[in-house]
Amino acid sequence: MKIAVLQFPGTNCEFETLVAVKAVGMEGEIFRWNRPAGELSGFDGFVIPGGFSYQDRLRAGVIASKEPVMSALKEEAGIGKPIIGICNGFQILVETGLLPGSIEKSSGNVDMALAQNVMVSQGKIVRRGYYCDWVNLRHEAPSKRCSGSFAIERGALLKIPIAHGEGNLVTTTPGLMKKLNDEGQVVFRYCDKNGRIIDEFPFNVNGSTESIAAICNEPGNVLGMMPHPERAFFAWQLPAFDPRKQRPDEPGPGRRVFESMKRYIEVNA
Amino acid sequence: MSMNRKINLRVWLKIPDAEAATVKNTLIRRLGFGNVLDDVKKERLFSIEVDSGDPEELAKSFAKELVNENKESHIVLIDELKFEEDYVPVKVALHIEDGEAISIRERLRSRLGFENVVDVKKATVWKLYFNTLKPEAQIKAGEIAERLLINPHKDSYEIMI
Repeated sequence: MKIAVLQFPGTNCEFETLVAVKAVGMEGEIFRWNRPAGELSGFDGFVIPGGFSYQDRLRAGVIASKEPVMSALKEEAGIGKPIIGICNGFQILVETGLLPGSIEKSSGNVDMALAQNVMVSQGKIVRRGYYCDWVNLRHEAPSKRCSGSFAIERGALLKIPIAHGEGNLVTTTPGLMKKLNDEGQVVFRYCDKNGRIIDEFPFNVNGSTESIAAICNEPGNVLGMMPHPERAFFAWQLPAFDPRKQRPDEPGPGRRVFESMKRYIEVNA
Repeated sequence: MSMNRKINLRVWLKIPDAEAATVKNTLIRRLGFGNVLDDVKKERLFSIEVDSGDPEELAKSFAKELVNENKESHIVLIDELKFEEDYVPVKVALHIEDGEAISIRERLRSRLGFENVVDVKKATVWKLYFNTLKPEAQIKAGEIAERLLINPHKDSYEIMI
């Protein structure tokens, strides 16, 4: 079971992502964007890690989305291989049209955007721009719905950090939000520590429509999420106020995303 | 009848513009525009509406705040916006709320005391240099905008010819 962790110029989370991949028992390697794209077919799954591909020039993720490696990745998605895009990886998947669109769509239509953060509280904009914090996520999809949350039960709460300036899901596509909700494509929402969805800052950390933090494509093999599970993979990575930090041998909540990917591959092999 | 005046600041880098170079490379090497596109340059555009004061003098003050003369040049256009003939200008702006433009407006009004500032709009103008004649160049400019320069869920564009 071999995972490619894609690296574009400006990616900066590839090494800790690779550690997470290997720590759950998968093989993995960093796959540079300028390797022959056809070599992707030798892998069983893919992670596009966080960072600032191409320095976020033009807008986050768009330049990387035009690379040949992403065309090859579309083909891999089309045969059901799992892909997880984290933060900038999510932005790249959106600009590629892999999310939220169905993989049959060959036109490369972009159905949504991850726009600049706008933090709203009590009807007022209280903050904008880059934001970095620990957030609570509620798993919205049924287990086995999505590759990256395959082994996570619906309603589970995960504390995972975010760090981004453009994570505000917006769309002008008619009916898209209903489709995402109806078809279980909303994978995680931002919530409070008890799992309540409160659609304003500081719970909705970036103004994202319906507090959405992660979505998957229609078949469920492609997941995009703004939070960074690789930064909460081990308990020792948790913030000082979390009692689990004192039990460093325990797994962190982010581990469940990578375990899910492994389980998804095992079940679908 | 409104007596408001509009001060347009066109601002561009006088050092190499890496973002414009990346856009040019992507258009030529990845999106197949190499046979028609010669070059890509970029400007920032601030359109500042004021309800009083001498616009020429105000423009000088605004430029001090919004332009870094160490690396940028600019020109001022009052109540008009025109571009040179040798490229197709494509103006890209957010159609969702533009937080940066609002921040600039508040900075000018509240922190710097320009209470005559009514509104600030911000855009990027992509200057597309083609080796084809105008009608085809305009069509290509539209294609470039839709395939790369904008995400239609948050941006809109206008070809400024």
